[in-house]
Amino acid sequence: MNRTVLIIGLLIVAAIVAILFMGLGKDPAHIESPLIGRPAPGFALKAVGSGETIDLTRYRGKPVVLNFWATWCRPCWDEHPVLTANAQMLGSQVQFLGVVFQDEESKIRSFLEQRGWAYPTLVDQAGKTAIAYGVGGVPETYFLDRNGNIVAKFAGPMSAEDIQSNLQKAMK
Amino acid sequence: MTAALGRYLILASVLVATSGAFVGFAAGQKRSPEGAKWARRFAYAFAALMVLATLVMEYALITHDFSVQYVTQVGSTQVPMWVTIVSLWSSLEGSILFWGFILGVYIAGATWLTSGKHEDYMPFAIGTWLGCGAFFSFLIAGPANPFVSVPNPPLDGPGPNPLLQNHALMIIHPPMLYLGYVGMTIPFGLAMAALLRKRLGHSFLRPLRAALLLPWVFLTIAIMLGGWWAYEVLGWGGYWAWDPVENASLLPWLTATAALHSAIVMERRGILKGWTITLVQASFLLTILGTFMTRSGVFNSVHSFTQSSIGPTILVFLATTLIASVVLLAMRIDSLESEGNIESAASREGMFLVNNLIFVVLTFTVLVGTCFPLIVEAMKGKQMSVGRPYFDAMAVPMGAALLFLIGVGPALPWGRTTKRDLLRALLPPVGTGLLVVAIGGILGVRNAWTLVTLFFGGYAVHVTLAQMWLPLVQRMKRGGSFGEALIDGQLRRGRRRFGSYIVHAGATIVLVAIAVSSTQRTSQELVLTRGQTVNAAGYAITFNGIEDRAEPHRQSTIAHFSVAKNGKPVTTMDPRMNQYATMREPIGTPAVHSTLVSDLYISIMNIGLDKQSAGIVVINTPMVSWIWIAVLLMGLGGLVALIPSRRAVYAVQPQSDAAPSLGTAQS
Repeated sequence: MNRTVLIIGLLIVAAIVAILFMGLGKDPAHIESPLIGRPAPGFALKAVGSGETIDLTRYRGKPVVLNFWATWCRPCWDEHPVLTANAQMLGSQVQFLGVVFQDEESKIRSFLEQRGWAYPTLVDQAGKTAIAYGVGGVPETYFLDRNGNIVAKFAGPMSAEDIQSNLQKAMK
Repeated sequence: MTAALGRYLILASVLVATSGAFVGFAAGQKRSPEGAKWARRFAYAFAALMVLATLVMEYALITHDFSVQYVTQVGSTQVPMWVTIVSLWSSLEGSILFWGFILGVYIAGATWLTSGKHEDYMPFAIGTWLGCGAFFSFLIAGPANPFVSVPNPPLDGPGPNPLLQNHALMIIHPPMLYLGYVGMTIPFGLAMAALLRKRLGHSFLRPLRAALLLPWVFLTIAIMLGGWWAYEVLGWGGYWAWDPVENASLLPWLTATAALHSAIVMERRGILKGWTITLVQASFLLTILGTFMTRSGVFNSVHSFTQSSIGPTILVFLATTLIASVVLLAMRIDSLESEGNIESAASREGMFLVNNLIFVVLTFTVLVGTCFPLIVEAMKGKQMSVGRPYFDAMAVPMGAALLFLIGVGPALPWGRTTKRDLLRALLPPVGTGLLVVAIGGILGVRNAWTLVTLFFGGYAVHVTLAQMWLPLVQRMKRGGSFGEALIDGQLRRGRRRFGSYIVHAGATIVLVAIAVSSTQRTSQELVLTRGQTVNAAGYAITFNGIEDRAEPHRQSTIAHFSVAKNGKPVTTMDPRMNQYATMREPIGTPAVHSTLVSDLYISIMNIGLDKQSAGIVVINTPMVSWIWIAVLLMGLGGLVALIPSRRAVYAVQPQSDAAPSLGTAQS
């Protein structure tokens, strides 16, 4: 038995296995946004339908659910009814906002007419707002507290539970 | 019905592989010829069951049998037939089944090719192979079962991962990679057999080397195809990003390449036995590590399968094989005693040692860089990534050093030499090196590392061609035409040597092409309105408009460009954005116009809302197509070296011998 080989070998093995073991069960796609805990980037965008310009500061004092989506994004279709239902339920306490990313207003309008809406949908013309938030893909949702700080971010379509659990952080 | 049939086949394969592994080890221990015979039978039976199970799955896919769960995950009546066939490896469960299929074919092939030979080692080797087979069939039977029955079959499914559908290279990249990865099981089994038998005889080196070389060829080509795919599909104009999974494919390649070289020293000098065995073990273990990386959900990458529960199972297998390898190596390494020693550092074997050192340091560098984010996150809870700068800073000097060795190593004679002989061997290629640097300088190369690479590249080409040419000349001097000399001297007798120099020539071109293409590329971002012509990268590019195309499985937006040079039309280029129904983001497909000098590459960044303008990136990269060509050359060289020469005589050469006239046993 060559002890040197055994000890060095087992040390390397233990290190590799320990590192990989610690990595198990994590979601590697989950990226902490550097914006968490910081004030949400401001914007003033045109709403679909009314054409009114909506400024984010208007909702100061109320938690905000800011959902980036697009009509060409299939997972957004699945998420839409969940968001609408929650917005109707929580309408008085929480402000939901949709921001449509790289899309055409006519398509958005026909999408909303077919599937219904419960909160303002804003058009992010050149994608500037999405860039300011560091959106990696759609759907992606940011949760803002009463003071306009970002408290949580969710990538991918949300379930009702995802919305509830993240909103709890925003409502504290 | 189909699902049940598949399940039974897999369960039978678990049983056969497990029994076969026990029989193999017992037969090796007791030196029982009857037991060895049974181990072989189990090996064939395992292969047959794996092949049948895979055929059952292909049948289910082709007939759109949605009562099989895997078909409901990746099948779709909307996708073309070729996509349906390759969906076998498009998702986790199917890819593990495909792994089992290739493992079965490899085991059967290796068992057949060694029948009647190496009887003292083979039962242990078959036992090890079937032990691995048992693990993979267990994985298919349990944690990654593709044959689950669906009680209420749907009428249609989503189709496979869009990345797989987006480019034809995806048909061959995964199978090539699997042939490389899975194939490492065979040399691993042979290495374990040598340790269990407490000896590594000279005759056993041949199957070990061949078993290592074949998967090495596949892995070499697979890595290149992956880079090519990234280049053709991902739209950033590069071919290598040090992504965790790219690294995972590179790691076993590095150790296998090192092992192929140390095996030559072992053959010539009778030293480095334990070291070569360690490298062979490491190559296999790194393929399992790579499998863990892609399938455990620990690393984020374009290659990752969706998160799955098989991570812990693979980790247990990895830990078990790692511990078994280390313990067995520690127990037996001293019995594989050296028969010789290295006489001089400035010798061929000295250069082989340096080569091995660089390959191993490179392996550790890439491994640490890949795992570092995990370590930091575990210790500090912070997310970070190790990017290009780290890998480039480490890999560039080591790549240049390897290129230096490709030149200097073969120029040096084996054993001790006089100073005069050394200078005579080393000086002439300097001229060629300087010539290549001068050509590069005239063509505008200013980067210091690129110039260093060009010098070593020229040096290596000179040495490699001289080494290929010398035996031809000697043979022709002894009488015989050029054709005879080439066919008889090089391709028949000196095939191994000749093949390895083809590989060296390919590797030299690859390293030079990587250096030139990564430092000499130009990139321009442009916004064009319809009908507008701009001059970029030496071409006149005209934007002809946008087309929307709907296909059953995707929506495409295509931008049409016509490209002219010096007033003459050259080609049309049509980069596109494909939106698949199941993806969050669209996948761009850039358009590439390749020539041997350079590639023109157009990728869409954005398209104006009125569809009258397009933002594009135009990239001009010199020499990039040489990478693909030269890697194919490396694969070809590997195959040439692999074909067994019937008249090969393997004998340890006790004396140094610079003249490569003895044919077969040299490299």
